[in-house]
Amino acid sequence: MSKHSNPQTGMLESILLQLPLRIFLGGVFVFAAYNKIPAIQSFAEAIKGFQLLDAETHPELIVVGAFVIPWFELLAGLMLIIGLRARSAAMGIGLLLALFIYALLHVIFTDVSADCSCFGDENFICGSTVGWCQVIRNIVFLIPAGYLMIRGPGRVSLDQALGRPEQITYNPQNASQSVDA
Amino acid sequence: MRCMHITSGLLSIVGAAFLFGTVHALLIEPINIAKVSTRTDGEVTGGQGRRGDPGSTDPLPDEPAETDAGEVEPAEETGSSQSPIDIDVPDEVLDAPVPEGTLTLRQSYELWEQGAYFIDARHEHEFEEGHIQYAAWLASSLFDTDSDRAFAIAQSMPPESTVVIYCVGGECDASHNTARRLEQIGFTDLRIMGVGYTDWVEAGFPTGEGSAP
Repeated sequence: MSKHSNPQTGMLESILLQLPLRIFLGGVFVFAAYNKIPAIQSFAEAIKGFQLLDAETHPELIVVGAFVIPWFELLAGLMLIIGLRARSAAMGIGLLLALFIYALLHVIFTDVSADCSCFGDENFICGSTVGWCQVIRNIVFLIPAGYLMIRGPGRVSLDQALGRPEQITYNPQNASQSVDA
Repeated sequence: MRCMHITSGLLSIVGAAFLFGTVHALLIEPINIAKVSTRTDGEVTGGQGRRGDPGSTDPLPDEPAETDAGEVEPAEETGSSQSPIDIDVPDEVLDAPVPEGTLTLRQSYELWEQGAYFIDARHEHEFEEGHIQYAAWLASSLFDTDSDRAFAIAQSMPPESTVVIYCVGGECDASHNTARRLEQIGFTDLRIMGVGYTDWVEAGFPTGEGSAP
């Protein structure tokens, strides 16, 4: 029998684990977006500084990234906090973290001196210059993102209130039945 | 089925982010990441070049090296001026190769001696820990986070004056970013140090400490 077949256990997990993790991870990304959105020029410069893309030949990709990434962070972060399409938001945040880790490793291994600008002009846990600290921090953030993607947002969420299929906790035995219902 | 729901939700977020980003792009001035036009010769231009900046916390020298632009002889070529420097630094350090369009350590020091403006484009805390003497702090991000302060610093220098910008060193982009902002507001003689602050310190050239304005 699945642990979530017991409603009390599911509620306990939701309140003690899923809700705090959603607020933490979503809050981190909302904070990141809040610092980037008013300073798009600086963020574009930061992307250029990573030297993942050639600014001479593909400046438009850097500009598009500078405008889209902060808004994606804001939307995904807010949706994770309120628990609306939370699994999708967690997946998006996980993919974004993977992209950030790749970019950070690129900077580290190519010996480029670049600023993270992960939180705009602010710092969170690590300093401003790209280093292993940011890589480890992002790997740690991947853990709650992966957990929320697998387990869902829990019972204290809009997905639950709206009865969305995303909310249903993974259980191979009754997953298809629950989704169809 | 579940995967489709999750993927469609993810695509919805991406689509919404593109939509908001597009509206955002239409509402603000176009962002610019183009390469900055810089010079590497040894001539100080723009009326009276002088050391320091009104915002700098370093005391000005007893006899500031104010120099009329017309009195300064331009360097012949990059790294080849070989003018005497009163600090014992090996030539291979002074003329170490730098990226195209940027200044060697020798050229940077000569401009400093001639009284060019120096701008530190690193982080504020790095500036406070130590900077090139008479330099002022002006990171590119300051134009976004505190534009009044950024413009006050920029406007304290004549737009036609020689402004040398530096950052950590290596392939740091901060000096290019600040140069781009200054170019956008009308500065015409921008120079970028190909070496960084650490190279300046290691050469034993003058440094200062203190908070940014």
